[in-house]
Amino acid sequence: MALTRRQFLTLAGGTAAGAIVFQACGIPERELMVQSPVEMPEDLVSGLDNWYATICRQCPTGEGLVVRVMEGRAKKVEGNVDYPINRGKHSVRCEAGLQALYHPDRVRGPLVREGERGSGRFEEISWTDAIGRLTHQLSKLRDQGNQDQMVMVTDPLGAHLGQVVERFVSRYGGQYMPYEAVERTTLRAAVKATFDQDVIPEFDIENANYVLSFGCDFLNTWLSPVRYARGYGHFRQGDDRERGTLVHVDSRFSMTAANADRWLHVRPGMEGVLALSIAQVIIAEGLADSQAARDLTGDGYNLDSFAPENVTEKVGVPAREIREVAIGFAEQRPSVAFGGGSAAAHTNGLFNLVAVYSLNYLVGSVGERGGVLFNPLPALGDVPTAPAAASFADWQRLVAQMQQGRVGALLVRGADPWYGLPDAVGFKDATFNVPLIVSFSGIVDDTTAMADLILPEHSFLEDWGADVPDPGPGYQVVGFQQPAVRPLFEARGMHLGTRGFADVLMTVAQGLEIDLGLPGETFKDVLQDGARQLFEMDRGSVRAPDFKSFWNGLLQRGGWWDVSAKSADKPPPAPRLPKPEEPEFFPQDSAQYPFHLVPFVSTSLGDGRGASLPWLQATPDPITTATWQTWVEINIRTAEAKDIKEGDVIAVSSAYGRIEALAFPHPGMPPDVVSIPMGQGHQAGGRYAEGRGSNPLSILAPSMDGKTGALAWAATRVKIEKTDRWIRLPKFENAVPDLPTDEHQEIIQIATRDS
Amino acid sequence: MIPGDFQPSRPPGRKLLLFGVMGIVGLAGFVVTALIATFVISSWLGDPVIFGYEEGPDQPIAFPHTVHVQDLGLDCTFCHRNVTKGAAASIPAVALCMTCHVAVGDGLPEVEKLRAYFDPDGDPDTDDGRPIDWVRVHRMPDHVQFVHEAHIKFFSERDGIAASATCSTCHGDVGGMTKVKQVRTLKMGDCVDCHREYSAPTDCSTCHY
Repeated sequence: MALTRRQFLTLAGGTAAGAIVFQACGIPERELMVQSPVEMPEDLVSGLDNWYATICRQCPTGEGLVVRVMEGRAKKVEGNVDYPINRGKHSVRCEAGLQALYHPDRVRGPLVREGERGSGRFEEISWTDAIGRLTHQLSKLRDQGNQDQMVMVTDPLGAHLGQVVERFVSRYGGQYMPYEAVERTTLRAAVKATFDQDVIPEFDIENANYVLSFGCDFLNTWLSPVRYARGYGHFRQGDDRERGTLVHVDSRFSMTAANADRWLHVRPGMEGVLALSIAQVIIAEGLADSQAARDLTGDGYNLDSFAPENVTEKVGVPAREIREVAIGFAEQRPSVAFGGGSAAAHTNGLFNLVAVYSLNYLVGSVGERGGVLFNPLPALGDVPTAPAAASFADWQRLVAQMQQGRVGALLVRGADPWYGLPDAVGFKDATFNVPLIVSFSGIVDDTTAMADLILPEHSFLEDWGADVPDPGPGYQVVGFQQPAVRPLFEARGMHLGTRGFADVLMTVAQGLEIDLGLPGETFKDVLQDGARQLFEMDRGSVRAPDFKSFWNGLLQRGGWWDVSAKSADKPPPAPRLPKPEEPEFFPQDSAQYPFHLVPFVSTSLGDGRGASLPWLQATPDPITTATWQTWVEINIRTAEAKDIKEGDVIAVSSAYGRIEALAFPHPGMPPDVVSIPMGQGHQAGGRYAEGRGSNPLSILAPSMDGKTGALAWAATRVKIEKTDRWIRLPKFENAVPDLPTDEHQEIIQIATRDS
Repeated sequence: MIPGDFQPSRPPGRKLLLFGVMGIVGLAGFVVTALIATFVISSWLGDPVIFGYEEGPDQPIAFPHTVHVQDLGLDCTFCHRNVTKGAAASIPAVALCMTCHVAVGDGLPEVEKLRAYFDPDGDPDTDDGRPIDWVRVHRMPDHVQFVHEAHIKFFSERDGIAASATCSTCHGDVGGMTKVKQVRTLKMGDCVDCHREYSAPTDCSTCHY
């Protein structure tokens, strides 16, 4: 057979192509063998990662997380893409949850106080002993007929854990005091007064065209910042919409103010008057919904005295700006107005918020897309949202009880009132009158340092739980928290290590022979019973033919929700606008105490609960980029006049105390306001928090909103004095020079023509 | 023979030879095809049938599970250390074998092989150990993710038994095998049947992720 050159080339090419193609058919050789390495370090990471869905407990919001677990160790957290509250995003506080798990100063077993109270000397005891001691003390108290002298202090606990705690306290006969350092009491009261709602509604930022926020740093720390920030992203840059307008009213230049199109720096406590002025313009210009305008100004409420020109002096905002904002708010619908944060933290806080929330009626935003959407009641009747925290007035009553020796046992979990309550209340001294303080904290925080008995609870990554978010996303959600890892101290045996708070309470209840009426022996049984009720409803995001598959599906997705289960409540008729109330400031004397102190919740440390975690300490504040410290923001001209430079140690004194902080002159601060972040100044709290910075909450005046009894934490006046010390403010921005300082190292040299 | 009768022309010798060879080649081809078909069809339905391979493959060292498990009573997890912690059960490192075999098993040829892997030149100060390339017996395709830890946890918690008592559910009585052999098909049908039986998830993404 003659082989032509062409045929030869075809055959050669075809063979080569075939060889290449069929090469891929085989199994690679390495797949067919398995190798014994010569040496294998014990800690070598092999194998694959598992991801478990759970709920973050680092802040009250409760974001859904997925946790990467390798070899039984949690390595990383990410946002749960499915979970309605955060839909795949998460905050720096969630991220640091790992450090709460691996914190070197975690309490590794039950402790009993050894030395003087507050001396920090504890001795390790077994769980049997610890639970026995608590049961014994509580039963002794009950035998004396003093059950009501048992006070349970927790963070506001919702869902199943809330149910367990509530039943434990009520069936024992004690007092329950949910504690929040920055309380929502006034917000809840305003929502009730304005919308007749018991749960905080959803603000549909995502679909709004105009957002008017008063005092609440909603992109940073307020209520549900991850969800709001996500909605905000769509509000500004959504593909299918025009860019929305954000106007922020605040007496401090916050991160939300920095993001806003317009920041109105209102005089502290004047947010309500400003809102009434905006209402006046909308009604006078004929832009308001007429029915709402009639309802709001019923009984001949004449708003003319709030015309921008009449109040501009008082609120500190130019009349032209009030007018422009009012017209923009009324014309660029759908628009939404909400308030909270420092606007609520005045003696007239309720007035401020009611006036702000009433604006929504004028533009027809109540119950409408892009406005205020009501949240439905929780899916399970006996599994509520977190209860309202005890108001500041309640705390003052409790302190009085403590001083009179009428508190026999103080049980504290997830709360740090010793740190968070202003010194002027006298809580710290009063704790010495309480014969028994029990803490369930996993870290020795300020309150726990004063405890007699510490029953450390699991980190949230080791524990069961559930969450009924408040505020919810506009429909029913029950989030489920599952242990992503086995308890870190499990290896210490069953008598030491940590235990779940609910399980400890259930054991103590057994010892006290209290029937909690719960379905099961362990907290997991209680959760499974709740899940069974959801299973039987047969609606929503997880449905299954049998309970076992349902339970698996529930844990895989991180919870259950039903997007069609929305609130059936129709918007109520608009209530009449509130009469203005003047804010009061303490002390009144503005000559001696010339500055308003407006503390703010730290981005990373929150109200102080994040201070023990170094990642959060090292997270720069979005405005100042400062880390690891407490600083005081001062207007740049005021600072110049007082010859204050950045880093000067400033003594900030109110009539109730004195703290020191590093000066941060800032052009965005109003001249008569100073701002200090919350979160630092712990006396205990582990190696990263202890003795670092100072706590603005400690010098607050014990003043409160007249109607709700909530702490008016922005109503204190202070004076500032320069000390003779200077400390470099640890911050990111301008920390390195932006040009080479060596004068012989030119980046570019321009030669003249002569050379 | 009648003259003029039709006579088939006698094939020439060359052609006869060709037919003979073709016949043998064809027969051999048929046998090979049948063997391949047996292999393909049996692999499709269950364990592949390869004649002469009923025992499991020869390994570089004829490691007897019988001695270690039945006679000495070692736990599976003593050597397969990662099995309760991660995806892979993990094959023990040579160093782990040597913790005993540095002293035990003098004179046994297979133990000498092991020692030769660990320290070929007999000088403990030189770092010249070689890994052992075992022939893989249980293998999942690349698109399947199997995590030992979750399965062991499930069975041991359900029945309240030790982790090492659950291995035989899938691997059979390895302790009684001189050569390790796959006893279950471990195909998707096998996985899914079992997942259904114990109400484990049967979403695609449970294993294919």
